[in-house]
Amino acid sequence: MIDIEDLTKTHYRGETEVRALRGVTCHIPKGSFTFIFGPSGSGKSTLLYLVGALDNPTAGAVSVNGRNLAELSSRERDEYRRHDVGFIFQSFNLLKNLDAVGNVLVPFMPQGISKEMRQRAIDLLNHVGLGSRLDHRPSQLSGGEQQRVAIARALLKKPALVLADEPTGELDSKTGAEVFGYLRRLHTEQQTTVVVVSHDDRYVTDGDRVLKLQDGQLQNGDGK
Amino acid sequence: MLKLAFRNLLSRPMRSLLSLLGLTVAIAGMVGLFSVARGLDAMIDDTFNDIPGLVVMQPGAPIPIFSRLPTEWGDDIAAVPGVAVVNGEIWQRVNVIDGKTIISPPRFLFGIDIPSRLALKQCVYRNAMLTEGPYAGRFLNESDRGTLNIVVSQQIIEEFDKGVGDTLQVNNRDMTIVGVYHHGSLLVDIAIILDIDQVRSLTLFDPDSVCAFYVEQEEGVDVEELAERIRSAFRGRKVERWQPASAIQFAPASSENPLIDFLRRLDHGLKSKKPPPADGSPEERAPIDLDGAESASSSETTDSRIESVPGQSFASIQDAAANSADDGAGDDGDLPVEVRTASDWADRFDEFAGDLDIVLGVLTSIGVTIAVLSIVNTMLMSVTERIIEFGILKANGWSKYDVLKLITIESAVLGFAGGILGSLFGRIAADVVNWMWPTRAHLYASPGLLMFGVVFATVLGIAGGLYPAFWAMRMMPMDAIRRG
Repeated sequence: MIDIEDLTKTHYRGETEVRALRGVTCHIPKGSFTFIFGPSGSGKSTLLYLVGALDNPTAGAVSVNGRNLAELSSRERDEYRRHDVGFIFQSFNLLKNLDAVGNVLVPFMPQGISKEMRQRAIDLLNHVGLGSRLDHRPSQLSGGEQQRVAIARALLKKPALVLADEPTGELDSKTGAEVFGYLRRLHTEQQTTVVVVSHDDRYVTDGDRVLKLQDGQLQNGDGK
Repeated sequence: MLKLAFRNLLSRPMRSLLSLLGLTVAIAGMVGLFSVARGLDAMIDDTFNDIPGLVVMQPGAPIPIFSRLPTEWGDDIAAVPGVAVVNGEIWQRVNVIDGKTIISPPRFLFGIDIPSRLALKQCVYRNAMLTEGPYAGRFLNESDRGTLNIVVSQQIIEEFDKGVGDTLQVNNRDMTIVGVYHHGSLLVDIAIILDIDQVRSLTLFDPDSVCAFYVEQEEGVDVEELAERIRSAFRGRKVERWQPASAIQFAPASSENPLIDFLRRLDHGLKSKKPPPADGSPEERAPIDLDGAESASSSETTDSRIESVPGQSFASIQDAAANSADDGAGDDGDLPVEVRTASDWADRFDEFAGDLDIVLGVLTSIGVTIAVLSIVNTMLMSVTERIIEFGILKANGWSKYDVLKLITIESAVLGFAGGILGSLFGRIAADVVNWMWPTRAHLYASPGLLMFGVVFATVLGIAGGLYPAFWAMRMMPMDAIRRG
């Protein structure tokens, strides 16, 4: 599914060079549930964003289903993000001016929203327990509810790959467990490949793959 | 996406409102200013549509009030094939009405040869006579020859609270109002019409001269062809060109009335087609009396010359004019008469309206520039605050062009709304000005101008949003999210 080859990412904070990733190589199989662990600044999120084609690597390559993301055109990258990848962020990243349904439908707004798609969004929100919060805006939702909206947004695409960046980082334990419950269900029911960046190893179960990053380098090979 | 754009704007109500108001004021100002020019255009079109004939006048004279031609030439013009009626006319400035000094708007004694005037098929004054209501009266007829019976505009009669049958004291002479006309044009509604011989007598005007001849063509005759025939008929005759210094040397140097200033420029252009001198020299002070035909308006200066050289004869004018130079070259070169059609007058007015547009455009651009900067500022602040939002959108598959579109729609909505409100307020302002100063202003915010205001504001809105939009679309999603 995902092949990462000698991946390097260097960026600059002012004039200071920051080497976020230093030659990471690994493979994430299709249908796997993978955790990326590591201390702050180890390059976890950078790796996740590169897999999601949100940024370009300085060197090396990320291939998803055999396609090198760096070689995709701008339009192909947009389509990859719109259809193939679902993102879940630590800070939910919902649009404050849209209600729950609108936030779920965001990826498809430029193409126009059909009635069927709107109904699917509502069904998904019902599925994550937000049936009574459809017209609520993010400011009217709790952290856990916002994250469930974000999950519904990711699920609407029926993505082959879900990338979650510390999805429980701002949630209490109970709500965090609920969020992981949804991710597990998605993984089990739809064989979706899930990659989660986290500090918290409580949610790791048997069969999960774990990648450990430190100082931009992978500490445990391919994570088996 | 439009819905999202609206919501984004509404989420920052005060900033959006201020930006909207900035653009509204700019567009309202633009509509208001250009409605001055459009008003002139409309007035000129309306006026000259009602004056289908020709005006024969002294070459180089900007307008008939400055022109002098021998009365006997009227017979020669009448002999030109295709001429139906020749009407001699005299224009003289009115100084005092009912004890009130007349400065602005100007008023004119318009002396007409009544029999030939009545023979005209189209007479703008006769056609505009009020025959019903409180001002119902009649036009002059044969019985008014040798009397001080007058026909006046509704503007004048209302200004002095008179009615038909009342006496109006003009330049200290009692005159009897027998009829009232109302055309609606500032160029026409300025006359006190009476028998030409009475005007000669009152103003000591040379009995052998007229200001100009209004010529009505026979049916089916092309006015341009007729104009050429008249020119040909007079080719070879001697007459001095009109010279301004001989006529208005005592004119004051400036006016506070913008309409008069404009008309002064028009006067200059009519005689030389050169830009007016900047020093406000006396020759720039001529009023416009459109018509030879049928109308006039003017600065307060004209009478100075009329009264300073009372009763000047055609010959004396020729003598005085002989000393001057080349100013006043008219269309007719060395011909002794200048023949102007209504379209000639309209074309020359249009040239000045075009010049006015340039001035108004410069004035408008100042307000518009401020409004655009306001939109740029609003959108830039908005974009800066929403960097993370654009990152989220891109992470969810929005292309950079989708982001560009969203920001541009927001600024376009601001522009469109500003255009609608600005055009609306500009139109209202124009109506208020027309209502408050009906005798001095004729502003016209045409549907085309209003539509232009809306389209222009929308384009400005889009332009104002483009820079922030390009800035946002270039940012990588990860950079945007991390900034947040």
